[in-house]
This record gives sequence, C-alpha cells and structure tokens, in this order.
Amino acid sequence: MIFLNINNLNVSIEGKKILNDFNITINEGEVHAIMGPNGCGKSTLANVLAGNEDYEVNSGKVIFKDENLLDLNIEERAQKGLFLAFQYPVEIPGVNITPFLQASINSKLKNHQKPELDNLSFAKLLRKNAEELGISSDMLKRSINTGFSGGEKKRYEILQMSILNPELSIFDETDSGLDVDALRIVTEGINKFKDPKKSFLIITHYQKLLDYIHPDYVHVMRDGQIVKSGDISLATEIEASGYKNF
Amino acid sequence: MTFENNFINHSKEYIFLDNETLLNQREETFKKIFQKNYDKKNNESLKNITITDLSKFEYFYKPKKEDSTISLIDNFNYEIRVVNGICKNYEDDNIEIRNLTNLDFKKFLNQNNNYLDDIIIDFNKIFLNSGFIFNIKSNSKLKIRLIHSTSDNFTIFQNNFVNFKKNCDVQLEHYFNFTHNSINNINYNINVEEGSVIKHNIFENFSNTNKLYLTSNTVCEKSSSYNQNTYNFSEGFVRNFHHALLNGEFANATLKGCFFLKNKNVCSNKTNIIHNAEHCSSDQTYKGILNDHSKANYYSNTFVHENAQKTEGYQLSKGILLTDNCSFFSKPELKIFADDVKCSHGSTIGPVDESALYYLRSRGISKNEAMKMIISSFIEEDLQNLDIDGAKIISNNLSDYLSSLVDD
Repeated sequence: MIFLNINNLNVSIEGKKILNDFNITINEGEVHAIMGPNGCGKSTLANVLAGNEDYEVNSGKVIFKDENLLDLNIEERAQKGLFLAFQYPVEIPGVNITPFLQASINSKLKNHQKPELDNLSFAKLLRKNAEELGISSDMLKRSINTGFSGGEKKRYEILQMSILNPELSIFDETDSGLDVDALRIVTEGINKFKDPKKSFLIITHYQKLLDYIHPDYVHVMRDGQIVKSGDISLATEIEASGYKNF
Repeated sequence: MTFENNFINHSKEYIFLDNETLLNQREETFKKIFQKNYDKKNNESLKNITITDLSKFEYFYKPKKEDSTISLIDNFNYEIRVVNGICKNYEDDNIEIRNLTNLDFKKFLNQNNNYLDDIIIDFNKIFLNSGFIFNIKSNSKLKIRLIHSTSDNFTIFQNNFVNFKKNCDVQLEHYFNFTHNSINNINYNINVEEGSVIKHNIFENFSNTNKLYLTSNTVCEKSSSYNQNTYNFSEGFVRNFHHALLNGEFANATLKGCFFLKNKNVCSNKTNIIHNAEHCSSDQTYKGILNDHSKANYYSNTFVHENAQKTEGYQLSKGILLTDNCSFFSKPELKIFADDVKCSHGSTIGPVDESALYYLRSRGISKNEAMKMIISSFIEEDLQNLDIDGAKIISNNLSDYLSSLVDD
C-alpha cells in the first residue's frame, strides 16, 4: 500500500506559485520533519494536504492510502485518517468542545461503517484522554479554543488527535508561541500517540521540537520544494548556521 | 381598498365610537399620512416598509369573544389565548385581564407616545379596533403564556396596556401564531413598577401570508428590570419596534432579538432606549441570519438625558449573510447628554467565518453540519434566558430553518 506519496505537486494561491514540483514519500510509522525559512511553502503544504480550498492545485498527484487525496474534500480527508494540527487553532465561540468532538469521531466511524459512540462511551474516552494530557474537565465544557492560552490551544489539538486516532498527523509549526513547559507537554502527547501504524509530518522552524520528537527524516524546504533530506543531524546544522547553505 | 375609503368606512370601528376628541385625533393623524406629511426618506426605521401595504388593505374585523380562552395550568402558571384581538375577561388574586371598552377612553387621551413618532403607531391609532388591559398584581411570581392568533383574514389594530405592579417576578412567554391572510398591527404599552423583574420572550412564527407590526413601549420604574428577547422565525413580514424608558434609578432594560430569514422575506427592526434616571443600564442587541434574497434592517438608539449620570448603555448588531443576494442594513445611534456614562455600540455583518468552517470540516464534519454548528453557535448565548419549553421551541424552529438551508 502506498501510504503517502506526493509527486510533482504544483500549488498556487491568487496566481502566485507556492509549491514547485514538490515530492515526498512517507511510509507507515515514519516521522518526517520539514524545516525551512519563512515563506518557503511549509504551511501551504500542510493546508493543501488537509484540503484548504483557498489553494489551487495546478498539477501533480497526492496518493494517500492508495487513493487520490486531491479527489477528496476536506472532511473526507479527515475521515480517511488525515489530521492537521493548526498553527493558529481557530476560536469558535458557542460551539462546545464535547459535542463537536463527538460529532467528529462519529462522522469518521460512520464513514468507516463502524458503530457510532453513544454519549456515555464518548464521555469516558474523552475524560481518559484529557486526563492523560493534563486537560481539566472544566476546559471540556468550554467553546472551541475560546479564551484558551497558546499552550491550551495546542494541547487541545493533541487531544483532538488522540480522539480521532488518525493515521497521518500533520503538525504545522505546533511549537510556535509555546513556552518550554508547554512544548514538553505537547511533544509528550505526540510521543504517546506514536505507533508503527501511525505517521507524522512535523513542520517547524526549530530543532528544539525535534529534540523531543526524534524524527526519522528531516527535510529542508526552499522555494516550494525539498532541497535536501537527511536525519536529525540536518536540524542541528540548520540550528548552527541557518538556511543560507541550502 | 384605498386608504381614504378605509378611513371613511372603518376608522370608527368597535371602540371609542362616541368620543369626539379621540375621533378628531384619528382624523388629524389620517390627514398627516394622507398628505404625506411624514419623512420616510430620512427615517431608517421605515426602511423595508412599504407605506401602501399599510394603507391599502381589505379591512375585515368580526371577532367572536367565545374563541378566546384563559387557563390556569397551576396557581402560578397561566395560558391566555387572544384570538382575533379579543381576550377573555378574567380576574383572580394574581392577575386581571379585560378587553377595552368605550369607558377606557381616558387611557388614550392620557397616552403620550408622540415622542415615538412612528407611522406604524399612527395607523394603529387610526384603525384601532381592539385592545386589552392586563394587570399583574403586586408581589406576584408567575409564568404567563400569552398567545395571539387569528382565525380568518383579519385586520387587527390593537392597543394593549400591561401593568406589572410592584415587586412582581414574571416570565412572559409571548407567541404570535397567525393563519390565513391577517394583518396585525399590535401595540403594547408596558409599565414595570418599582422592584419588578420581568422576562419577556417573544416568539414570532407564522406563514408568509400574514404580517405583524409589533410595537412595545415599556416604562421601567425604580430598581425594576425588563428583559425582552424576540425570536423571529416567521416567513411573513415582521416589523419589530421596541422602546423602553428608564424612568427610575437603578432600572435595567434589555431589548434583544434574533431573526432567521430566507426566500424573499423581509424583517424590519428598531429599538430605542431612553435613560432618564441615574444608575440605569441598558442593552440593545439584534442578531440575524439571512439566506436567499431576504432583507433586514436594524436601527437602534440610546438616548441619555443630562440627569442620567452613571448610565451604562450598550448596543450591538450582528448578521450572517449566507448568500450574495441577501442584505442587512444596520445603524446604531447614541445621543448622550450626561458626562459620566459608559456607552458603546458595534455592528458586524458578513458571511460565515470561512476559517471556522475549514477548522470544523478538517475534523471530519460535513460542510452542512459545520454550517449548522456555526449558525447555532451564533445565537447560543441568546438561549440562556429561556426555560426548557422555550429552548425546545427555538431549537425546533432553528432545526427547521437549518434543514431548509442545506441538504446533506
């Protein structure tokens, strides 16, 4: 099975080309990190994979679990097992976390023709996962991301991931705006979730996040394409001398 | 029928037939409108209102008293059915309600609502054919369900007087459920006496063959609280004009509303609060969801007299436009003549937040379901004032509205 294969992907927004013949292959259980300077197309990649309709895919192929991902809309991609942890999670006042997450998991289960979770089963699952992430039950009564601190928002993204149980999780600069303690809590959450069936694409500027997550591969991105791939030592090199050598 | 013919044939219907002063007042008001001696162009509160709709109509008014009912669900819980403008006369230890008679003319002579300067009220004066006096006695703690309905193509011009005596605690659930092709110009004069706390929830839901022009003029005395929430799910035209006068210190008035429009429906809203005493607070907030080719306007006004120091007055309007063809015009206005006040106003109108839609969909929720979540969340805070029955009604109405927007 092809898990994720992106082949010569070209993407633009409002006529401006962002991804330029972008290629990458991610297999089951692998953790990939993409680093790159501002404006190189990292977040565009994350959003195009999640199905953001603001971007125009000009050419190229994206195969996810043997299916053409580009044929699927945003929710179908999520239901198929793709999860994007947002760089700036959106505040939605009035939409309560708990029923929202229950609707999310049940739409996925329904799509997989599995029985949906009733209120009690879902409440148990949510409470257990929230406790593991140090999220209080009071927070679960609130509206999505409304009034959350930066750290709370990112922790809540991890909670959603743990409930939805995706096969491919994409983290778009999850470390931005986090202090050291919040970063540790978030990365611990990600690490707990790792298993041989799950893959990760981590987008970041800094080595610090990767020190906690230990990716299998590190890629450097410039001008909408990967210019170099290697292991964690590539992140160390970037930390020491920046992107000027790439 | 023309306005003139309507006036000649029907301006002396039913009540106050013999009172020359009142009939002269009607004649003067008729002349003002007939000679177009009013300013529609610069009056935002008349936006989306067609004057010919108001003046040219087929007058029909033949009510039967026996249709109206009053039931006592328990000692503190009433259901009053006002059918075709008529209520059943009734009195007990808590309430007294009776239809207006010719003997009540003094109430109209003394009625000074000229400051409202509203053409809808003028039409109400000219064709007045019904009304009731409703007194809620001191210290009553009640829940009252007041239902207005029609049983034919009635043209109802009603003026009602509601008096909440001292220290009442009342939840008034007010329903407007019309059938046939009725025109309903209903005016409420509400007096909230010292220390009374009133929750007034208004539910408007009727078919597109009916029209409702609902006006309320509330006076709040010392340390009273009047909290009005209007929910409009009607397919027929609705004009809401709600006015409150804060006349005693430490009084509070809230005039809030939500409307849900589709097809070519039109809804016109106006609220107005006058602060005439110290330490009073007010809140005027209207929210609307508009679909298809629907249109709405909301005009709000806070007036703070120079003696009304320590006033707190807030205004807000919010609108979600679901298509490019619908429109929502909003104009907040503040007139402040005191120097120690906290007042604000704001207005936001736009499409559904695309980033919120994307976020919800990225978690596997369909576009339609995500849209419904966002729209429901828009009024979530406005349901806090409702009890279980009211919340259920709004939830069902909202569900019907949402299901008509998008098909899964």
